[in-house]
Amino acid sequence: MTSSERLAAPLDVVAPPRKGFFAALAPGGGKMLFALVVAGTAFLFAFPVLWLLLTALRPASGVFYVHRGTEFTLHNFVEVLQQESVFHAFVNSFAIATFATILSLGVTVTSGYMLSRFRGPVPSGWFAIIYVLRCVPYISWVLPLFFVTRQLGIFDSYWGLLLPHVAVHVCFFSWIMKGFFDGIDPSMEYAALIDGCTRWGAFFRVAMPAAVPGLTALAILCWLYTWNEFLFALMLTSHKTPILTVVMAQFVHELGMEWHLMSATAILALIPALIVTIFGQKYVIKGLRV
Amino acid sequence: MAEVILKNVGKAYGQVVAVRDFNLTIADQEFVVLVGPSGCGKSTTLRMVAGLEEITSGVIAIGGKVVNELPPKDRDIAMVFQNYALYQHMSVRDNLAFGLRNRKVPEAEIDKQIAHAVKMLGIEPLLERRPRQLSGGQQQRVALGRCLVRNPKLFLFDEPLSNLDAQLRSQMRMELKELRKRVPTTSIYVTHDQVEAMTLGDRIVVMKDGLVQQVGTPLDLYRRPANRFVAGFIGSPAMNFIEVTASATESEAMIGAPGLSLSFAGQKAALLRAHAGKTVVMGVRPQHLLLDGADAAGLVRFAATLSASEQLGDQQLLDLRVGGAPIRVAGIDPALSLADGTELHLSAMPENVHFFDAADGHVLT
Repeated sequence: MTSSERLAAPLDVVAPPRKGFFAALAPGGGKMLFALVVAGTAFLFAFPVLWLLLTALRPASGVFYVHRGTEFTLHNFVEVLQQESVFHAFVNSFAIATFATILSLGVTVTSGYMLSRFRGPVPSGWFAIIYVLRCVPYISWVLPLFFVTRQLGIFDSYWGLLLPHVAVHVCFFSWIMKGFFDGIDPSMEYAALIDGCTRWGAFFRVAMPAAVPGLTALAILCWLYTWNEFLFALMLTSHKTPILTVVMAQFVHELGMEWHLMSATAILALIPALIVTIFGQKYVIKGLRV
Repeated sequence: MAEVILKNVGKAYGQVVAVRDFNLTIADQEFVVLVGPSGCGKSTTLRMVAGLEEITSGVIAIGGKVVNELPPKDRDIAMVFQNYALYQHMSVRDNLAFGLRNRKVPEAEIDKQIAHAVKMLGIEPLLERRPRQLSGGQQQRVALGRCLVRNPKLFLFDEPLSNLDAQLRSQMRMELKELRKRVPTTSIYVTHDQVEAMTLGDRIVVMKDGLVQQVGTPLDLYRRPANRFVAGFIGSPAMNFIEVTASATESEAMIGAPGLSLSFAGQKAALLRAHAGKTVVMGVRPQHLLLDGADAAGLVRFAATLSASEQLGDQQLLDLRVGGAPIRVAGIDPALSLADGTELHLSAMPENVHFFDAADGHVLT
């Protein structure tokens, strides 16, 4: 036996891979089951949206027989787009979601960074504040906020909705931002300090760029959150500042329910959210995995 | 290039003292290694020199200038980190240029410096890559390059090789030594690996629990450890320690332990006479124990029983017992075959036998 033969020998006795339960029961069964579970879950989530789309495409007379009718129309979309309040609401919702995102990120990034990197009374105090505020049930803020915004004279204005949203975002997302920064090696910032940066310089030029996936994910979450939010919008705005989610709900009124128009508005409202999600899902997944 | 002075430097986090009364003067172009177990304060000391930790007490001066209050960027230092700390969102070239651009060095000069450094480190093909596309060894080279281009007064190394595998670590150790010859900048190097400390340092500072245990050249520490901790920390395998009782008659000085009785003459005898009746700790390195020294004069000899042997290929390590105490012998001919339980005669030169105080561990002289 030569030495090479001796070396080769152990490779021949590698055990064959053990068969799993499903593989033994039915070859390929495991994969099939997995595909079924995925399809089932996807259907569970997609069904309401599909139903919504179907309702939006039916004339007023057909909304209760969505599954039977054969008559389809785009008229509902035309009708809601002709309503001034819907158009207004679109603009308002878009502006508030965007501004709320920009404002909250400005605070959240620095607040998350502080929670991640600094120790002492200020970070601990700040941590305690947002922790307590986070523990307060969301709905119990609504009434106090209503009075506060009335008192400040910002009820039914951009600021009256923006500021509460920013406050909520800061409380909820500072934690996530802290998590992103915890995942970034601080020695990179130390290296920057030694390489000639100030503390702020190290933050802006080294820590922030490294946190971009996280920041993008957070920006998308912030935007979608405000775009979809209903309760604050309902209580803190009125006719002057219509918000999309509230306008949508107003299709249910004392004279009846205009499901077809509500569905059409909802489908229109889905489009920007869908664009944001499709554009950003790569970052959201990447960011949340940090 | 500069002299570095640390005077009575201390660091406390509230009640917890991390570094106590650290005194050291590092000559221009000297390479000093801080070594010790984790939590001994060596990294904290380095970070205080870098300006990344505030100093609780004392003075640090670099190049004749007190830097206590200076931010890291104004200390003219460069640092290599354990986990490389490369800027992940920048190419290797931008990583190297970052510090120079911050100092408003003209681009032409930056290109020249980078070209020089990458040539020295053999990383020319990597310039346009991102750090995460590089292996650990390559990343550490880039981190070294980032220091070299700056041409600072002082290099700081914070366990730069500990994330590398054993083979690469020993290769990089050699490269660091080579690099040092070409760029003889004053350096402070922190490691927990005594082999790195011994091979790289002009001088070694051994630390434990925030206190400096001993400062000296590698050979100094090996031959003349100041206390039992240094004796046990430096050298591999570690020094053997046996608790013994010193005694003396008019004609000779002896030590005794169960199964062991040695008699000393000369300087060691005087030492033992001074501690007669007390318990002391005898220390002798595994390399300093000989299996066959019967014909040489002046050796101390004793018998021990073999309990196990470890074959390393180039040598054997023998684990023996003297009375109840374990004792190791290194450097034994690998071809020698001995059955467990064999009684062997060991001998050592008296100057290679150290005695330490049984209570606080300081060396008895």
